[in-house]
Order: sequence, then C-alpha cells, then structure tokens
Amino acid sequence: MSSNKIITDLLPQKFGKTGLIWTAILILLCLNGLYCYIKQIRFGLGVTGLRDYASWGIYISNFVFFVAISLVGSLITAIFRLTGVEWRTPLTRISEIIAVSAILFASLIIIVDMGRPDRFWHLFVYSRLQSPIMWDVIVITTYLTLSVLFLYFPLLADIPILIKNSKPGSAIQKFYKFIGAFWKGTAEQFRISENAVKTISVMIIPIALAIHTVTSWLFATTYRPGWDSTNFGAYFVSGAFLVGAGGVVVAMYVFRRAYQLEAYITDKHFNNMSKVVVMLALLYLYFNVNEYLVPAFKMKKAEEHHLHSLFTGEFSLLFWSAIILGMIVPVIVLLFPKGRKPFPAFIMGLLVVVGAWFKRFLIVTPTMLSPFLPMHDVPESYKHYTPTWEEWSITIGSLAGTLLIITIFTRLFPIIPIHETIEEMEHSKPEKHEAN
Amino acid sequence: MKQINHLTGLIALVLGLTTIMANAQDKTQKGTIQIYLAYSQLNNDLPVIKVSAKTKKEQKFEPVAGVDINLFFNSETTAGFMGRVNTNNLGNGSLAMPIRFKSQFDTSASLKFIGTVTQNKQFKDQSTELEIAKAKIELTLDEVDSVRSIHAKVLALQPDGQWAPVPETEIKLVVRRLLSDLTATEEETYTTDSIGGEVSADFNMSVPGDSKGNIVVGAKIDENELYGTLVAAKTVKWGTPLVPDHSFSERSLWATRDKTPLWLLIFPNIIIITVWGIIFYLIYQITKLIKLGKENSSV
Repeated sequence: MSSNKIITDLLPQKFGKTGLIWTAILILLCLNGLYCYIKQIRFGLGVTGLRDYASWGIYISNFVFFVAISLVGSLITAIFRLTGVEWRTPLTRISEIIAVSAILFASLIIIVDMGRPDRFWHLFVYSRLQSPIMWDVIVITTYLTLSVLFLYFPLLADIPILIKNSKPGSAIQKFYKFIGAFWKGTAEQFRISENAVKTISVMIIPIALAIHTVTSWLFATTYRPGWDSTNFGAYFVSGAFLVGAGGVVVAMYVFRRAYQLEAYITDKHFNNMSKVVVMLALLYLYFNVNEYLVPAFKMKKAEEHHLHSLFTGEFSLLFWSAIILGMIVPVIVLLFPKGRKPFPAFIMGLLVVVGAWFKRFLIVTPTMLSPFLPMHDVPESYKHYTPTWEEWSITIGSLAGTLLIITIFTRLFPIIPIHETIEEMEHSKPEKHEAN
Repeated sequence: MKQINHLTGLIALVLGLTTIMANAQDKTQKGTIQIYLAYSQLNNDLPVIKVSAKTKKEQKFEPVAGVDINLFFNSETTAGFMGRVNTNNLGNGSLAMPIRFKSQFDTSASLKFIGTVTQNKQFKDQSTELEIAKAKIELTLDEVDSVRSIHAKVLALQPDGQWAPVPETEIKLVVRRLLSDLTATEEETYTTDSIGGEVSADFNMSVPGDSKGNIVVGAKIDENELYGTLVAAKTVKWGTPLVPDHSFSERSLWATRDKTPLWLLIFPNIIIITVWGIIFYLIYQITKLIKLGKENSSV
C-alpha cells in the first residue's frame, strides 16, 4: 500500500449526511442536558431523585463509569506499547481520545453532583490531604494532563500531512498550524517526541491504576455494606480495563464502518481485542465472585439487606443482567472464532459497555439504600431511588458530550495515526522482501 | 301599669335563669386537675418542692402544661405562701423554698406543704397536701489502708428539737452523674441498722472524674413516704482523672488540613512533585520542539 493511498484513506473526512445527523443528535442531547442542569442549579438537587439515603445516584455511577472507561488509554497505548504489541497502531488514537473525553466528563459530572457548584473552589481553598476526595481531584487532574500529552505527542507527526492536505488559508489549516506548524520531522524532533512518548507510557500506567484505585477508595474508605472491602482497588481496576477494552471494540467497529477502514482495522484486530476482552471479563468475574460470594457466605446481618436487594430484591434483574449479559455471555461468544468476527465482537463490546454502566450503578446505589441503622419515620421516597428525567437528561447529555468530543476529534484529526502507519508499512516491506 | 310590671318581672326571670344556666354550663365545662407534690432536699439545705399536674382524658392521665400552682408552707395563708409554679410541657415544675422560711423550717420537725390551683379557666379549683417528717443524712467518706468506704447515718428531728437515728429505712449509696445517679457499691440499696440508723459499704468503683479525679459521692433516700427525697453528697478524689482528648488539635486523619499527619504530607507530596515535575519537563520538551522547528525553518 502506497503512502499516498494511506494518506487519502486516513485523512479526516467531512461529515456525510449520517455524520451530520449523528452530530446534530449529540448536540441536541447535550443541550437538553444543559437545560436540565440549569434547572437543577435553579431549583437545587430536589429536582433529582436523590434524597437523604440515596445521596449518590446515577451521577456518581456515571462518574465511576467515565473514570473506568478512561483507563483504556493506558491499556492500549501504554501497556501494548511497552509490551511490543505490534497490531496496536490503529487502536492507539481511538483509545486515547476515548480516555481524554471520558476523563474530561468525569470531572464535569462530579461538579453536576454537587448541590452548590458555586462552592467548587472551596475544594481547593479548603483542601485536606486526609480526604480521599482530594486524592481523586489530584489524580484526575494528573491523568487528564498526561492523557492530553499522550494524545498530542504522537499527533505531531501527522500535523504537516494535515496542513499540506487542507485548504490553504482556511480556518482549519490555521488551526493545524497553530498546534503543530513547528513540526518539521527532523531526527532531533523525532528523538525528543519518542522519548516523551516512552516516558508517558511508563508514567501513565501507575497513574491510571491510581486514578481508579483512588475512585474505589472513595467507597472502600466509607464503612458501609458492599463497600467495606480491601479488594476494591483491584476489583475496580479489572472492571475498568474490561469496559475500556469493550469500548475500543465498539469504537473500532463504528470507525471501520463509518470511514471504510477495513484495510487498517482488520479482522485480526477484532480477533485479538476480543481475546483481550475475554481475559479481562474472566478476571473481572473472578473479582465479582470475591466481592459477592464471600459476604454472601457469611451473610452478616448488616450486609443481608444489601445482598438480598442485589440477588433477589429490587435490583436483582439489573444485577443478574449485568453479570450475565455484561460478562458471561461476552466470554462465551468471544471464545469462538466466529464470535470474534467484527459484528459479533461489536455486539459483545456493546453488552460489556452497557453492562459496565449498570454495574457501576449497582456498586453505588444499593449500598446507599442499605444503611447500618434501619430507616425509621422517613418519607417513602427516601426508601427507594428512582432517577428523575432531569437526572437522566443530564447523564445522557454527558455521555453524548463524550461522543461529541470524539466525533469532532475525528472530523479534525486522523483517527488512525497516518505517519506511524506509513512507517510501519515501509518497515514491513524489506522484511517481506527478505522473507521472499 | 300592671302589664308593665308583669313584663319587667318576666324579663328579670329570663335574665336570672340565663345567668344561672350560663354559670352552670361554665362549671360543667371545667376539667378536674390532679396535683402531686414531692419533697427533695440536698445536703440538709432548704428543700425544693417539685410539682406535677395531670388530668384525665379518655381514660388516660395526661400532663397539664402551663398551669399555675400556688405553693404554701404549713398553712394556706398569705404568710405561708412560698410562690407560684408554672408547669412545663411535661406538666412539671419546681420551687426552692424561699430563704425567709429558713428559721421556721429549721425548727419544725413536721413539715406541711400545700399546693392549690384556683381561678383557672380550664380546671376546677383543686388543692393537695404533702406532709413530711424532717430528716437528714450525715455522710462520711473515708479511706483507710486504700480501702474507701461510705458511711451514711439517717437522723430525724424530734418534736423536742433533738435528732434521733432512723432505723430500717432504705437508702442508696451513689455516685452522682450529670443525668442520674450510679450505684456506687455492691448492693443497689441498703437498710439502716436498728440502733444507729447507719449504713456502711466499701467503694470499689472505677469512675471517670474531672481532670483532678473529683467525683461526687452521696447517699440518697429516694421518694420515701415519710421523709421525701433526701440526698447528702460530697466531692472526693476517688475518680479516675480525665485526660482531655486533644486529638483534634494534633496531627490526625480527622483533623483540619493544617494538622495533616506528616506521613500524609511527605509521601504524597513527593509523588505529586515528582509526577508533575516530569509533566512540566514534558511540556518543556514541547517548547524545545517549537524552538527546533523555528531553527529548521530559518535554515
């Protein structure tokens, strides 16, 4: 495949009719979310289904989901890079933009959950290092910065191609020039950039582990049924890798279809990523068994209400759906080679991602509705949690916002690194000749 | 003229009957109030009279709040009027005997207290009496060879002005706490002996005291029919000195941010500085790339 063909295939394309409709829907969902958020600011958290007991609902579930899926950046880009996984190239930018957009909305949704966002600055002015929430703020800021750098450095080599192939004097060309006209592709620039990418690859792994471990500690350091676990860090990280891998499989399929990238995102990529999903799903299942089987075996009085609500009570349908459809079914389907073909893998990836979102809800809310002290003399609405349409709108708006960032990014930048792909193709040619 | 006289007589009769009926109706609408008096004396000081007011509603006694109860000493006269108590939400109130009654109180062997409710809009007039035989407790606390003992002697004032021992009376030996009394000895109650009216018991309790270990140990006759409630108490250093918890002013996980534990300041900050140091180094690398790009352009 020639360089020109690669460039033509991978350059960002103008939105077609589908792309425009898709973007318009996302913008509308975001605007609806914004409208509901303004309503929430005006009337307070009373417009949500959050009450004294269930004070953490789908906002926090969504926050945990965003943090979880953002770990994909470190999995695909850093771990695969350091372990020399060669087929990673077409997936690196996809995973990094998912990471950046997810972590950005993780920090926004946490502000949405605050009853008084005007006091957000208090978090910094009156910060206490003793508080796990402060650890989360620090680690999220760090991860976001590193992820942006991780996206930016490998992008530099593509900027001259983008400048060359954009309309002279256009706004988009000016934008490209602003962010990377200085890249001349000299040996020294490549050396600096590669060293920077290597440094970030090493650094981002512990930071990524820290970000989700600290998020798990927001729960585990609180003495409540279902959260009182020393296993929570590993449990969260394994779940995060699973949802991240599932998210990449979904994104791979969508981008492949939308931009006709079959020559770059091949069946081999789906096959390999599906195997990764199977391994991570089994790992996450293992932690789930630990989290639920051991407390259920002891069935301590304080845990009883919580576990019953999950196993046979009001959350049982959701719980078993998340376990079976979000973990067991993908493992079974993806074990077979036919199941690892693009479309079935895409469906399994969707199940993993949707199951993961509801799994976060199951981690957060049932615990809040199972306090150690029984509920007495409280209004009926305090005993259950049903998110209001405003809450759903804001949550869906944030998810749409994440997809909108990814969509706009793909409009501006190549979703598969052009320069790196050309380099790989050129390197593989002599090897083929040698082999012949 | 005769007709006018008849009419005047008829009007007078109607008015008279209306007034009588109105009065009768008024009386039937008023409820009955029950007044209870209790006598309480601490350290042989002037007593406190506790009152409570109740009324029967639907087969149940309920406290009456906001009712004025007049209290008298010995006789329901102006001279014997001690004061007026207004009951609280629980129907209770109390009044310390005014100092002007001290000489009369000191010399009387038999005390009579009268409580009355009069001219109340809701309740009929009511009065009750409480008769008390004046008594006192003499409390001695000693420590011999590390054995701490409480000795209490109950004495009653005789009509001849002499104090005589009170035998066979139930008494409690207690440690006085903020909201109630704790039993200070092995038994919950003791009975005074038949000769000296005395009780003795060892104190082996470990109770937190103030910063110096002070606690209040006492003897108590509780709601006795003859003597009311009598308490004699003394402060003694038999408690465990209380060491104030200053952990909020020390470095701890629950302290304010200026009291962050040192380990939590040092290690995370080392990590934060290291990581952000590298991030700034990476940003510096971007500036180097820009510089290299400019140099390359000029060449």
